[in-house]
Amino acid sequence: MKQIGFYSATLLFFLFPVCFFIYKSFFGIWRWGEAFPVDPDARAWKVIAGEGELLSAVVVSVGIAVMVLILNLLIGLTAGKAFALHRFRGKVILESMLMMPLFLPALVVAAGLQLVFIRLGLADTWLGVAVVHLIPTVPYSIKLFKSAYEGIGTELIEQSMLLGGGAMDRFRHIELPQLIPAMNSVLFLTVVISLGQYVLTAIIGGGSVVTLAMIYYPFTRTADESVMSAFSLMFMMIPLITYLISVMVLKLFIPYRPSKKRRGNETPWN
Amino acid sequence: MKWRKRTEGLFLVPSILFLMIFGLGMLMAFMESLMDDGTATMGYYMELFRKERFMRSVLYSVWITAVSTVLSLVIGLLFVRVFKEKLKGGTGRLLVWIPMLFPHFVWAYLVFLLLNQSGFLSNLLGVSGLMAERTDFPVLVQDPGGIGIIVTYVWKEVPFVILMLLPVYASLSKGYREAATLLGANPVRMFTTAEWPFIKPALIETGAILFAFIFTAFEVPQLLGVTSPQMIAVLTYEWFYSGAWTDRPFAFAALLLAGALSG
Repeated sequence: MKQIGFYSATLLFFLFPVCFFIYKSFFGIWRWGEAFPVDPDARAWKVIAGEGELLSAVVVSVGIAVMVLILNLLIGLTAGKAFALHRFRGKVILESMLMMPLFLPALVVAAGLQLVFIRLGLADTWLGVAVVHLIPTVPYSIKLFKSAYEGIGTELIEQSMLLGGGAMDRFRHIELPQLIPAMNSVLFLTVVISLGQYVLTAIIGGGSVVTLAMIYYPFTRTADESVMSAFSLMFMMIPLITYLISVMVLKLFIPYRPSKKRRGNETPWN
Repeated sequence: MKWRKRTEGLFLVPSILFLMIFGLGMLMAFMESLMDDGTATMGYYMELFRKERFMRSVLYSVWITAVSTVLSLVIGLLFVRVFKEKLKGGTGRLLVWIPMLFPHFVWAYLVFLLLNQSGFLSNLLGVSGLMAERTDFPVLVQDPGGIGIIVTYVWKEVPFVILMLLPVYASLSKGYREAATLLGANPVRMFTTAEWPFIKPALIETGAILFAFIFTAFEVPQLLGVTSPQMIAVLTYEWFYSGAWTDRPFAFAALLLAGALSG
């Protein structure tokens, strides 16, 4: 009974939207009072694939999202580690100040930063937009890495120090493998949040940094529903593809398989 | 661990730099909200309270935000409580993530496609013969009551609430519940004594994040709102970028007030 309840609720509210966009992208407009459309048509997807402006917007959006992700990893990892494993004066205050961006309007910070960025030459640039996208993302990254480091604890790290392990080896063999779940969450959150910023991008990008959000927005009123549905699905595909690529990249750096079963002879010291 | 070496203090440098950028943005905004021909004044703030359009916008935003936040929290909490075993991992967990993958404006467009007068739902009702005319379908998007905005936020934020509450429920000790049962607590008492104290901090934090976000967000009300009444972000964006240059201090002041209100 509970099973049925759970799946009907999640399928209807969480999976149905994706199916609806897929259906809509192939079947186009359903005029009121007419019969349900039955002939699929790939027209919308052809329009999407052939639109040069759209493809360059994908490049810009992904480029900015990757910059946001890298900066988030840098800030989140260092701050998360410091907050989880170290004691120092002013820790509580600093920690709560770093959560402030979640509770204050990002719009006003962006508008204030615009004045500074113009002088610094960061306005209308990818980097400027990436920096302003840090505001709604960094607090989450710090939280995620902090709880990941709390899970790792100090024992293994101290043990490796006693055994004379260097900081880089320690990171690669002890911390990184245990940070993967947190890194995946950070990846999804930052890429999705960065792709979804319209107003911050508009303010700092000043119309010359054209991301997907900048194109999507004005189109909602004019373009046809079929193309818009295909366009909507692209927002979901980008974080998924980024995730798959990062899994492959991480495999190059991490000497262990993500699986819990250790395969003895694959570890580097054997 | 204490700082072992001085160099370990370097771990705080990136986050402090981030904080400085954020602080700089706030500071510039605050200064802009005070400046009037080179002299500092609180005049813009005083005048804001006399602007009827602004006051209406504040009340409207508070209403929409409060309804969306409370509904998201209640539905999310009930969902986690009822289905927590299903959410532990696997397919169930993945399904909850789906709405998190879309930006808010895409979700707003989805709600528009489903609920506008000639949209999917209206069409279904028409074809099945339950409704004769499409004008019989109620105005649910771009409506003065903000129903479309609320539907979008609740639908989009419930998964967020679920994902914020899940770790708390996962770490909730069974011992307290068992003790409560043994001592003869009814379900209500069990909730108030063995659950509520533990979930309250997470619930308050999630609620505060949602309130602050929805209160000053631009994308959804821009798509699904009406020209009057307007939510704060839409009004201030207009003051920032399409109105006269002299409106800009008002926009800064209005957003800072909104921030103080939600903060």
